Amino acid sequence: MKTDELVLANNKLRNQIIVSYLVLPFIFLTVALLGGLRVSSDNHAFMFLPPSLITLILSVLLVLLLVRGGLIDIRSMIAGINPPMTNVAHVWLLLTLFFASAQAFNSVLPERGLLHWLFSFFFLWTLWNNQFSSFDARRLLRSLVVLFGTAFLLKHLLLSSLYASDGTWLKSLTSTLISSVTLGTFDTPRFAASTGYISFFTLGLYMVGLILIGTVQNSTPSRNLPMISGNS
Amino acid sequence: MNRRWIQIIGLTLSAIYAAAIIWLYATEPRTFQEVATGAQVAAGTYQVDQEKFNAALALFRREQFRAARDEWQRADSAQSDPKTQFYIAYAFYREGWGRVYNDQALFKLGVEAINRAIALSPTTLTVDDQNLQLHTAAELKAELEQGTQRSWGDVNPLKVLRTRK
Repeated sequence: MKTDELVLANNKLRNQIIVSYLVLPFIFLTVALLGGLRVSSDNHAFMFLPPSLITLILSVLLVLLLVRGGLIDIRSMIAGINPPMTNVAHVWLLLTLFFASAQAFNSVLPERGLLHWLFSFFFLWTLWNNQFSSFDARRLLRSLVVLFGTAFLLKHLLLSSLYASDGTWLKSLTSTLISSVTLGTFDTPRFAASTGYISFFTLGLYMVGLILIGTVQNSTPSRNLPMISGNS
Repeated sequence: MNRRWIQIIGLTLSAIYAAAIIWLYATEPRTFQEVATGAQVAAGTYQVDQEKFNAALALFRREQFRAARDEWQRADSAQSDPKTQFYIAYAFYREGWGRVYNDQALFKLGVEAINRAIALSPTTLTVDDQNLQLHTAAELKAELEQGTQRSWGDVNPLKVLRTRK
């Protein structure tokens, strides 16, 4: 009986190590790759948009929020008592998480114009306010799903439908009216429908990554994760 | 497999993946075909489509410069072969050359192509072709740049006696 328990515990530990050091960096790097990918509506060519300065700032705030919410225990991840390779692996994981967060914002922010700054401002406002709220990991994840979900719906359903080149006359009239009244500041570039699917997949993957970090952390009795404790 | 090995494998694989992502964002390929060509260039296995190159050369010798350029661009889709870029620049020169005046737009495109050829060639680029009068990239660049400059010499009536190279 004790042997069975030992085998199960060993399997669990091994799976957690694989998730921490192999799966999570790959998930976050894939988010970093796809977050800036758009497909042109004219010739279906790829466009790679690197993260802008505002997305990097938002990403810093989000990572701070993840630390405050208890999803990442940074003190035990990078500590003097850990083996050097473990610290390096954790720094690398945090870097991939940072760039994935930046590209997740990049994926749901309008590319230019007044809407880009409006969305950025609302993100900034929300993240800044959340820094001073009390969060646990689960509530934080729910809050992030709502935040990214709302931005996704606004950008990839509402705005893209309004500015679609194959829209109805009513949509065309509305978009022309908005463009005229706002002197073109609300104009957004048109992308192929596949851009929305890519963004949906990217955000889904990002959330899966965050849930996995939380799962790995919460599945151990102590605060020291197998990925974090570093003693083999 | 112990933790240390998983860490090393994870770091190595994800670093390669991260490098590939940075490369994609730096080169900005527009299609999967361009991704494949770019990867060949990066790996050093890229080669010009020789059949298309020869077809373009035949067109060039028949003075069908625009068609020749199109074919050369298809032969060297990554714009990474100095010799092909040299010929493209030469095609711009020959099409743009005029006894009375040169086509400025074509000459400027020629300068861009020859600059690409020079940048791609690690040594002095020389093309051994008996049908050409300019054999080095430097000569062709000088000729193209001279053609884009305006001077009092342009109003010299004897200018009509010069020949195309």
